[in-house]
Amino acid sequence: MGMGTFIQLVVDGLSTGAIYAALALAIVLVNQATGLINFAQGGLAVLSSYIAYVFVRLGLPLILAIIVAVVLSFFIGALVERFLVRRFERGDPDTAVVVTVGLLTLVTGLCAVLWGYNNLGFPSLFPLTSVEILGAVVSVRSLATTVTIVVIMVVLQLLFLRTKLGLALRAVADNPASAAFSGLPVGRLLMVGWGLAATLGAIAGVLVAPQLTLTPGMLDTALVYALAAVILGGLSSPIGCVVAASAIGVLENLVAVYVPFIGHDLKIAVPFVLIFVILVLRPQGLFGRKVVVRV
Amino acid sequence: MSTVSPVLRNRSARIALTVVVAIALIAAPLLLPAFANQTLVRIGVYAVAVLGLNIVMGYTGQVNLGQIFFVGLGAYVTAYGVNHGWNIIVVFVAACAIAGIVGLLVALAAARLGGLAIAMVTIALPIVGVPLAKRLSEFTGGSQGISARFSDAPDWSGLYSDQWQFYIVLLVTAAAFLLARSLVQGKYGRAFGVVRENEAVAASMGVSPYRTKVLAFTIASILGGASGFLYLAAVQYTSPETLSFGHSISLLAAMVIGGAGSIAGSLIGGAYYVFVPQLTNAIDPSFTTLSQGAILLVVLFLLPEGLVSLPRVIRRLGRRRTARPTSGNPPQTAPAHHPVPEAAREGLENTERQDRP
Repeated sequence: MGMGTFIQLVVDGLSTGAIYAALALAIVLVNQATGLINFAQGGLAVLSSYIAYVFVRLGLPLILAIIVAVVLSFFIGALVERFLVRRFERGDPDTAVVVTVGLLTLVTGLCAVLWGYNNLGFPSLFPLTSVEILGAVVSVRSLATTVTIVVIMVVLQLLFLRTKLGLALRAVADNPASAAFSGLPVGRLLMVGWGLAATLGAIAGVLVAPQLTLTPGMLDTALVYALAAVILGGLSSPIGCVVAASAIGVLENLVAVYVPFIGHDLKIAVPFVLIFVILVLRPQGLFGRKVVVRV
Repeated sequence: MSTVSPVLRNRSARIALTVVVAIALIAAPLLLPAFANQTLVRIGVYAVAVLGLNIVMGYTGQVNLGQIFFVGLGAYVTAYGVNHGWNIIVVFVAACAIAGIVGLLVALAAARLGGLAIAMVTIALPIVGVPLAKRLSEFTGGSQGISARFSDAPDWSGLYSDQWQFYIVLLVTAAAFLLARSLVQGKYGRAFGVVRENEAVAASMGVSPYRTKVLAFTIASILGGASGFLYLAAVQYTSPETLSFGHSISLLAAMVIGGAGSIAGSLIGGAYYVFVPQLTNAIDPSFTTLSQGAILLVVLFLLPEGLVSLPRVIRRLGRRRTARPTSGNPPQTAPAHHPVPEAAREGLENTERQDRP
């Protein structure tokens, strides 16, 4: 195994890392807005991918089907916030987490009833060819997936830092009470936050669906990776999550090939062994700061 | 238990009731058909797992999405021990102890972060556990699984195997529930409650939130291991499918639907875990997951304290309808946990305004 394999593994790892990063960012987005962890983020993304699949089957061009599904996902996310999660937002956070687990079960069950448990093929947005970079054969799909997610992250960052909507969203995340006093429609902004998170998840879903093929549990594993990235990067640090997700994607790929004992079946243990070691050595997380709570 | 009717406050009546229940449980397997015994046995198996989950989640407020991992671990240890000819008591102790030690190690790391981090770490347990179980095929039999027969009725007993299994499960389940009941009623139970309500208050009272969480998680894991032992006694076979992610979610749903923070609720949770999939499978297997999610959400909306609070809620509604004066009220339990529906529905601005003097 030469340098070529190594580069290929890194590029492939970056593209799966980008998928984890998109899910992790969606989780952080929801957490910033509503203070809870949405365990249904992956499940909602699977639903979005199935919606895109339906429109493809109806004869829409792939890119159009994806856009329709992504837009619909925004509304699904917003409605879930309004009619399901809102009631539990200010209560016990553990109950709210159980609500999202219930939502995950509901959505997974819904997909299973509507489309069954059999794997469905999903067309790829990008050509399945490969190009040669520095003597390594690299798949176009991996490169394009990474680039797409990076572009979306930049757009999201601009939205948050350069627009009035972004300012309002940040205000609500920072202090909902003050935001309400200054006349911001807090409820509607929370819906927008959930909608954006669902959109991000939907994009991750349709990008990874051709590779994984559609099943109701398609993103269960990806969700676990995304959560690992969130733990390593810190809930308060979107950049930290992206870095952690990319690192996990690359590391698991390398370990799967270069450490035969672990191999492809056990590579999911890699981020958690890492978390275990880090928590023992550095309890506040890699990028997070030690939180001091005033009673 | 403070809400049972006044008759039960009487000490002798309570003892009489306990004796009647005990006799009924001991006589039941001799009178019931085999299928009913097997169903009751499985309820006992999962009630112990749900009980463990309730200790860490219901009582201590730490969301645990990986309880099934410890059930599977206990089952595998049991299978290994039985197939290597260990004494059955040693097998039982090993199943509990190994699950407990692994739980302790996981908790020592996970409890260092805030409450939700435990949920995020424990979700990985079944997802790592399944490929791990397939990989360690020397111990686990790989994908095919492993069977171990130790719960067939011995000849001297003159019992059928389903009856013998019933007694094994009854013995362990009853012991687990009695121990858990004294645990949550004692000083550790109070420590669990304080940590769940407010960690800062707990710390100021000299209760270490970290140690309390680790303790609760370890006890939950030990009960998971015991449940795994019982699982093998009942099913005599285990495979990686036993510890799948979906089953872990079902355990959590069973705990919440039965009643978080309630010993009796754990028993109801065990019954839910066994009965409802049987019911939905009979109607249409593809609806099983969907109905589970729907039931869980409906219970969270309408009955946040679980099915165990149903009699109390009905009584309260009945009292309201008859509009009796509230003088002779029995202790009103736990309004603290109820979200105020009006406040939640109207959104943030309104509640903030109402809060102002």
